[in-house]
Amino acid sequence: MIITRKRLPRRTFLRGMGTMMALPMLDAMVPAFGSSRDVDLKTPSRIAFAYVPNGIVMKDWTPKTTGSNYEFTRILKPLESFRDDLMVLSNLDSNTGNALGDGPGDHARAGASFLTGVHCRKTAGADIRGGVSVDQVAATKFTGVTRFNSIELGCEDSRTVGDCDSGYSCAYTNSLSWRTPQTPMPPEVNPRAVFERLFGTAEDLSLDPETRARRFRYRKSILDLVTRDTQSLVKTLGPGDRRKLDEYLFSVREVEQRIQSAEKDPRRPAPGIDKPSGIPFEFPQYVKLMCDLQVLAFQSDLTRVATLVIGREGSNRVYPEIGIDDPHHPLTHHRNNPEWIEKVTRINTLHVEMFAYLLKRLKSTPEGEGTLLDHSLLVYGSGIADGNNHTHEALPVLLAGRGGGVKPGKHMVATQGTPITNLYLSLLDRIGVHQDTLGDSTGRFEL
Amino acid sequence: MKLILEKVKNGQMPPAKMPQPKPEDVAALTSWLTHQLAQMPDKITDSAASNSASSSAGRVTLRRLNRVEYNNTVRDLVGVDRHLADEFPQDDSGYGFDNIGDVLSLSPVLMEKYLAAAEKISRTAIFGVEPIKPTLVRLRSGERTYTPQLTPLTDYDLSGLSLTNAVHTTYRFPVDGEYVIRANLGGDRPAGSEAFQLSLWIDGELKQTIRVDPGNLASFGQLGEPQQLWGIRPEFRVTVPEGEHWIGVAIPRLYEGLPPRYNGPNPSKLPIPPWPKYKPPPDLTPKEIEERRLEHEKKGLETIPANSARVSFLELGGPYASNKGPATESQQKIYVCKHLNGHHSASCARKIVERLAHRAYRRPVSSSEVVQLTSLVTSVQKETGSFEEGLAVAIQAILMSPNFLFRVEKLPASTTASSRQLSQHELASRLSYFLWSSMPDDALLLAADKGKLARPDVLEAQVRRMLLDSKSQSLVDNFGGQWLQVRKLESVKPDGKRFPEFDEYLRLSMARETQVFFASIIREDRSILDFIDADYSYLNERLARFYKIPNVTGPEFRKVSFDPESHRGGLLTQASVLTISSYANRTSPVLRGKWVLENLVGAPPPPPPPDVPNLDEAKIGKTSSMREQLEQHRKNAICASCHSRMDPLGFGLENFDAIGAWRSKDGEFTIDSSGTLPDGNSFSGPQGLKAILKQKPDAFAECLTRKLMIYALGRGLEPADEDVVKEIVKSVSANNYRFSSLIMGIVESPAFQRRRGEKP
Repeated sequence: MIITRKRLPRRTFLRGMGTMMALPMLDAMVPAFGSSRDVDLKTPSRIAFAYVPNGIVMKDWTPKTTGSNYEFTRILKPLESFRDDLMVLSNLDSNTGNALGDGPGDHARAGASFLTGVHCRKTAGADIRGGVSVDQVAATKFTGVTRFNSIELGCEDSRTVGDCDSGYSCAYTNSLSWRTPQTPMPPEVNPRAVFERLFGTAEDLSLDPETRARRFRYRKSILDLVTRDTQSLVKTLGPGDRRKLDEYLFSVREVEQRIQSAEKDPRRPAPGIDKPSGIPFEFPQYVKLMCDLQVLAFQSDLTRVATLVIGREGSNRVYPEIGIDDPHHPLTHHRNNPEWIEKVTRINTLHVEMFAYLLKRLKSTPEGEGTLLDHSLLVYGSGIADGNNHTHEALPVLLAGRGGGVKPGKHMVATQGTPITNLYLSLLDRIGVHQDTLGDSTGRFEL
Repeated sequence: MKLILEKVKNGQMPPAKMPQPKPEDVAALTSWLTHQLAQMPDKITDSAASNSASSSAGRVTLRRLNRVEYNNTVRDLVGVDRHLADEFPQDDSGYGFDNIGDVLSLSPVLMEKYLAAAEKISRTAIFGVEPIKPTLVRLRSGERTYTPQLTPLTDYDLSGLSLTNAVHTTYRFPVDGEYVIRANLGGDRPAGSEAFQLSLWIDGELKQTIRVDPGNLASFGQLGEPQQLWGIRPEFRVTVPEGEHWIGVAIPRLYEGLPPRYNGPNPSKLPIPPWPKYKPPPDLTPKEIEERRLEHEKKGLETIPANSARVSFLELGGPYASNKGPATESQQKIYVCKHLNGHHSASCARKIVERLAHRAYRRPVSSSEVVQLTSLVTSVQKETGSFEEGLAVAIQAILMSPNFLFRVEKLPASTTASSRQLSQHELASRLSYFLWSSMPDDALLLAADKGKLARPDVLEAQVRRMLLDSKSQSLVDNFGGQWLQVRKLESVKPDGKRFPEFDEYLRLSMARETQVFFASIIREDRSILDFIDADYSYLNERLARFYKIPNVTGPEFRKVSFDPESHRGGLLTQASVLTISSYANRTSPVLRGKWVLENLVGAPPPPPPPDVPNLDEAKIGKTSSMREQLEQHRKNAICASCHSRMDPLGFGLENFDAIGAWRSKDGEFTIDSSGTLPDGNSFSGPQGLKAILKQKPDAFAECLTRKLMIYALGRGLEPADEDVVKEIVKSVSANNYRFSSLIMGIVESPAFQRRRGEKP
């Protein structure tokens, strides 16, 4: 790995259609896949969010003391070697997860509000309305800069039948990330599909450069054609329908951008791992594979924003790998049965182990004068604190990484009534996105 | 008010202990409430909404094709059946269905996939499937517990398919071609057994048989030791068409050809190898050696070695020798100029494009739309010199158009009318996606082109034709799979220790029973009450053995009539329904009761409060029965308000365990399957439960009507739809509850044929 202060001119690299470039990228090339108008020579900050469902056994999560030198609790133990890279943030709320008059449905609300700070509309279908999630706000900054504005990854398939929580549409539990209040961004749960999206399919790679270029051109012409089609169609439809066509047009523009960015810089990063064949059978392997893909995407600057849904809200997954055959969600309604609480604690700990793996991969990836972890900000948490009672206050939240100059290594307790969206605004500041409000925010949470 | 109406209708209010109103008063109250609700303005604030029954037309938001619809439409449009939409993000569902306009969103990820899929589909249609490198896939059958039999069974499945030593799986074959299926064997066969067979079944049909003779293969074991099958990997080479297929590999006649000491049928005629000589350890005295040798010989005479031959897993390699070139079906659908040999004239492009777009957009196309596409053909042709390339790109463009991806229903020209009749093409689209989850076929499209669907007799004839068409299987798979929630069967994982009988073959068979049953009700236009209780079903050997129904052999599904003692008949006794309404390790009368209320009665219970205490699972079956545990529900008045409705229904089904097998005991406790409902009616056992449900056929008809309407319309129901529902139920009941009357009722209703306007 060559580490120099000089910035190598891009011509130094073999330019040609479809040449492969080996990873990890030379950091002197930074930003290699970025737009040439990105004059920020400092290594770019990444931001990511990881979600776990159904709450956490808080008595085994919250450290007893604040500041540095706190003792790692049972659930947080797997992260002990990352003490200096980690912040435990206590007492942040997501009040918009509460019923506020809508009755049951805490799981749908928790998932929909965690990154948005918005109380989603209670509907089983008509007029779904969430909010704009923080990761998507961050993603808009990188439009045209990275090949993908953001990636949404998930480790649990969505429900295929029935409603998902007490009269709430499944759209609320399936997606954590929302581009607009009406457009959820569903996560990709198949590692093979994620890989192919990031690094290309076998067909893409087997085409000769001329044919590939021609196919790109056709795709662009087609997108032009359908955009015109849509504009004439829109005039004949009512307002409710027009919103759907807006989603269509937005997506067309996004894809056009991606094609343009691929044409400008047609080199494809070699991933360094084999293409996954599908979804791994064991849960830890599955999550770790998704973490690997996220790290790769960050490392090759294909994107700087990611969300990872380790478990969907209301998840009924069983964990035979750690000897738990009971579905997760009913276990969390333990009603103080100590055996059940023990099982939930073990599940919570397993999830934290997965996060520790992600941090380990990021930390062992050198970048610039530090590591990829130094240039990232990662939030880990759940929209429910006590799964038994469905509370949305004093949520379990972790912040890892030093992106944007954050100095971790302590346990902080927020003042009473601080919404988690305040934290998000501060994080957005750190990556250079300045927004006045987000969802139910009341200010910034100073880190 | 809706809540009041529900509770009064269900007899929940007034509570049982209070004085009860007369039936005619109840009827008056409920019909008044129903009428009032229908009069109330819609939730969706639309001041143009009228309150009269004739315009009880809702408005569904622009519906994009969901994954299943996309796959089917592409198959019907250009003859490409590659199921590329299976890779699209999952469709979100609302109101229990995944085809709800408001809920189906379009993210950039999906758009990328559309673009890639459109390219692949168009190129496959024109040029044939791209060369696919053969790959090797390992297909396991999931966890199985295998208990080898020591003595031959007399009455066992001779085909071997229902035995636990067979392997069953489904696989989607990417293209027509030759595939190699390698069976990895395991287990032992007793020494001296004759060669046995290995059979390959695809979709329930025997395709190939291979002879396996372990005795003749090189063996490193001593004579007299069992024939070890591990490492023997016979290969089948078969031609398989593209698509998802059910593969089964089994050992037929497992208990034949065994050494005579088994006392089995057709014993082996081979000489029995001698029992291996005793090899003494070095440090024994001659006397001890002789003693041990005699023991060893004696053991040899007494032991019946296990016959544990099994298929452990399959490996699938391919495709090999797949067809190159476009499929005939694709060519016929595309080249309407009739020049299948490729020699196209100047006007061919326009003809082809115009016809394709007409079918793809499900309406006549304007000349400017055609010109847009033909210019694309021309410019690509100029660049590449190939007309076919140009055509492929034009097809790709058609598949990306919003007119293809969405089912468009336009805003009416005049905005003063409160609702309008749908156009012929919009109606045809609704009809075909309702009954087939796919685009209108040529006949339906022609009828729309000619305006014939405006005639009720033509419309009815089309509906009947469409119900009889094999494409109506989509109604079974998509509506049925979601209404009955049997789609969940794909992912259930019953506890292997408690239910060792549950294997892949059983799972596939259970699912198929319900599908074939539903399809028969459509095909034979039977009464929908058959869903509740029928004296027949469709079984294969596996399922018949599971249900303990005798005299059913072979893997094909055939109609079987039930005796009353069989305990089977109707959805409530089908293993599929019973399994998805249970937990992995036990039954749940609550889940089952909820299932009945939601899907048969149309009176779903509200969700439970979050801090409800849970059952002490360890006790169930041991120190207290499920029923006693659930007594808690009745003791607490708040719990009882919902549970007094749910639990008794579930108790009625307690004789069926968590995978649907009949049982008379739950652990140590004899099952008490009686129940008493809030309105005072009591019953015993599943027959009694079914009788109670049949007493109110209109309640079931209404429930099914509502669900079918949501599915057909792609939106939730609004108060203005109530009158429509009532009308349909009346007509269904007047027609002996025949299935087609339900479909006709929906299709003829203003809700299906009209669309409410909105301010632009």
